[in-house]
Amino acid sequence: MPRSLLNIGAPLLIVGALVSLPVGLAFLGVIRFNEDLLFFLLAEVMLLSGLLVVTMRDIIRCGLAMIVCFGALAGIYVIAGAPLVAAAQVLIYIGAISVLILFAIMLTQTKDAPASLVFQTQALGAAVASVILALIVVITVAATDWGELGTRLHTATDALAQVLFRDYVLAFEVVSVLLLAAVIGGVYVAKREEGGPP
Amino acid sequence: MTFVARTWNRLTIPGRVLLGLFLLGGLLTGALIALIIFSEPILELLGANLPLVRFVGAATVVLLMTIPTAFLIIYMEMKIIALMNLRLGPDRVGPFGSLLSVVHGLKVLMKEDFTPTGADAPVFTLAPVVTYLASVMTLLVIPFAPGLFGQDMNIALLYFFAISGLGVVGLLMGGWSSFNKYSLLGGLRSAAQVISYEVPLVLSVVGLLILAGTMSLNQLVLNQAGWFTDWYIWQQPLGFLIFFIAATAEANRTPFDLTEADSEIVAGFATEYSGMRFGFFFFAEYVNVFIVSALTVTLFFGGWNAPFPFPEIALAFDPGSLGIALLILVAVVPVVGTLILAMPFYLLRSSMPFWQALVIGFVLFNIVAVAAVLGWAFVSLEWVAGLLWFMLKTYTFVFIFVWMRGTLPRVRIDQLMGFAWKWLLPASLLNLFVTAGAVVLVRELGA
Repeated sequence: MPRSLLNIGAPLLIVGALVSLPVGLAFLGVIRFNEDLLFFLLAEVMLLSGLLVVTMRDIIRCGLAMIVCFGALAGIYVIAGAPLVAAAQVLIYIGAISVLILFAIMLTQTKDAPASLVFQTQALGAAVASVILALIVVITVAATDWGELGTRLHTATDALAQVLFRDYVLAFEVVSVLLLAAVIGGVYVAKREEGGPP
Repeated sequence: MTFVARTWNRLTIPGRVLLGLFLLGGLLTGALIALIIFSEPILELLGANLPLVRFVGAATVVLLMTIPTAFLIIYMEMKIIALMNLRLGPDRVGPFGSLLSVVHGLKVLMKEDFTPTGADAPVFTLAPVVTYLASVMTLLVIPFAPGLFGQDMNIALLYFFAISGLGVVGLLMGGWSSFNKYSLLGGLRSAAQVISYEVPLVLSVVGLLILAGTMSLNQLVLNQAGWFTDWYIWQQPLGFLIFFIAATAEANRTPFDLTEADSEIVAGFATEYSGMRFGFFFFAEYVNVFIVSALTVTLFFGGWNAPFPFPEIALAFDPGSLGIALLILVAVVPVVGTLILAMPFYLLRSSMPFWQALVIGFVLFNIVAVAAVLGWAFVSLEWVAGLLWFMLKTYTFVFIFVWMRGTLPRVRIDQLMGFAWKWLLPASLLNLFVTAGAVVLVRELGA
C-alpha cells in the first residue's frame, strides 16, 4: 500500500508543483493569466525535461526526456503563432531524429552494462558553456528592437512558402546541398572497409 | 502513515469500495461547491481561452469515440476472416456473436496487470499510453461531416503525419523497457519500418497538395464536392496506390505487421504485456485501421461528399409547426403503432397469445420509427447525410484492410525495407514530378 501510494503520489506531487507555480504567479499578478500561463507551464516542462536529459543515468530515459523537451518546445511554437514550425518540429525532431537516436542507442547498448555518460564527466565545462550561451541569448534578445515582430503574428503556410521558395530560395538550396553532402559523406565513412582508401 | 495503512488493511473489500466511494463523493461535492462559488471567474477564464477549451472538449469526444470504433472493427475482423476461412466465427455472445468484443474488453480489464522483473517500470507503463494517445489525437483533424470535426487547422495534414509518427515512440519504449530480446527486436523493427515508410507516405500526398493548394482536410473535402469523378483518386491514382501501401505499413497491418510477427518474434513489442496495458496496444492498432481508412477517404475519395449531387428533397411539413399537437402525437403514436402492427399477427395466427403479438408489434414499431427518424434526419440535416456517406466509405476501407489480413501472407523484413526505399520512394518522386509538370503545363496552356 505505501509503495503503490508513492507510485501514484510522487507523479501527482510533481505535476501539482509544476501547475501550481505558474497559477500562483498568475494570481499574484506577476504574469498575465490567459496568455502567459500556458507558456510558463510549457517552459517549466521544457526546462525540467532538459535538465533530466543531462542528469539521468539511464541513457534511454535521457532520450525519452529529450522527446518530452522537444514536444514542449513545439507547444511553445504553437503559442507563438507558428503552428507550421511546431508541426515540423514534431514530425522531424520527435518522429524522425529522436526515434533514430533511440534506435541507435538500442542497437549499440546493453541494459546490464550501463555506460557512463560522457556529458556527466564533463559537468563543470558544460555548466560554464551553458551559462555563457544563456547570457549571449539574453543579451541578444534584449538588444534587438523587436517592434512589430513583438506582437503575436500568425504565419500562414502559403506566406511562409512564398518567403522560403521565392525570396530566399538560394539559401534554401545551399542548405539542402550541404545536407546532401553530409549524407553522402556519412555513407562513405560508414562503408569504408579495411585496406581500402582511408 | 502506519495508522492509515493498518486501518486500510483491516477493511473488508466492500468496505474499501465504500470508503473509496465516500472519498470520491466528498471530493466531487467539494469540487462542485468550489465550482459554484467561483463560477464567474472560471467562466470568464474558459471564455478567454475558447480555442483551448474547444481543443480539450474535442479531444475528450474523440477519445470516447475510439472505444466503440475499436470494438466494432475487432468484431468485423473476427467475423469476416472467419467467413473467408469457411468458419462460423463468434456466434455465442449476443446476436451473431456481436458482443464478443465487449467480452474481450472486460477480459482484458480483469486480467493481471503484470510487470516483468528487470523491466523499466515507468517507461513500461507509459508506452501503451503514448501509442494510444498518438492514435487518438490524429482523429482530431478528420472531418467526419460538414461542421463535424475537432479542429479545422490550416496545416491539418502535416499535423496528422506529425502526431501519427509519435506512435512509434510508444512501440520503441515498450520494446526497450520489457527487458526481453523479442520485444526489443519488435521495437527496433517498428522504428525502422515506420521511419522508412513515412517518407513515401508523406511524399505521395505532396502531389495531391499541389493540385489542391491547401493542407486543410476540410478544404480538401470541399474541393471534391460534386460527382464522384471530382474525387482526387482519378487525378492521383499512383499517389493513392503509394499512399495506401505506405499507410498499411504505418498502421502495422498485414502484410506489413513485422513488428508483431508471431511466427518469428512471439508478439514483438507486446510480448511482455498483459491486461489493460496490452489492451491499449490492441485498441490503438484497431483505431489506427479506422484512422488510416478515414484519411484515405478524406484525401482521395471525397470525404463526406455523396458520390453524386444528392437531389434536394423538401419535406412536406415541418414537425415543429404542429405545436401542442406534436406532444399528443408523440404520446399516442407509439401505442397505436404497436397495436396496429401487432394486430395482423394476433388475428392471423390463432395459436399466438396476445402478449407475444404485442412484443412483435413493439419491436416492429421500433424498427419503423428508427427508420423514419433516420430518414428524416438524412433528408433534413446535412451532417447526418455527410456522416453516413463518410462512415460508409470508411468502413469499406476497413473491410479492405480486414480482407488483406485474411488473404495476404506476411513479407520478410528485408523485403519490406527494400520495397520502401527501392520502389515506393522513386514511384512517389515520379508522381510528384509528373503532377508538378502537369500543373505547370496546364497553367501555361491556359494563360
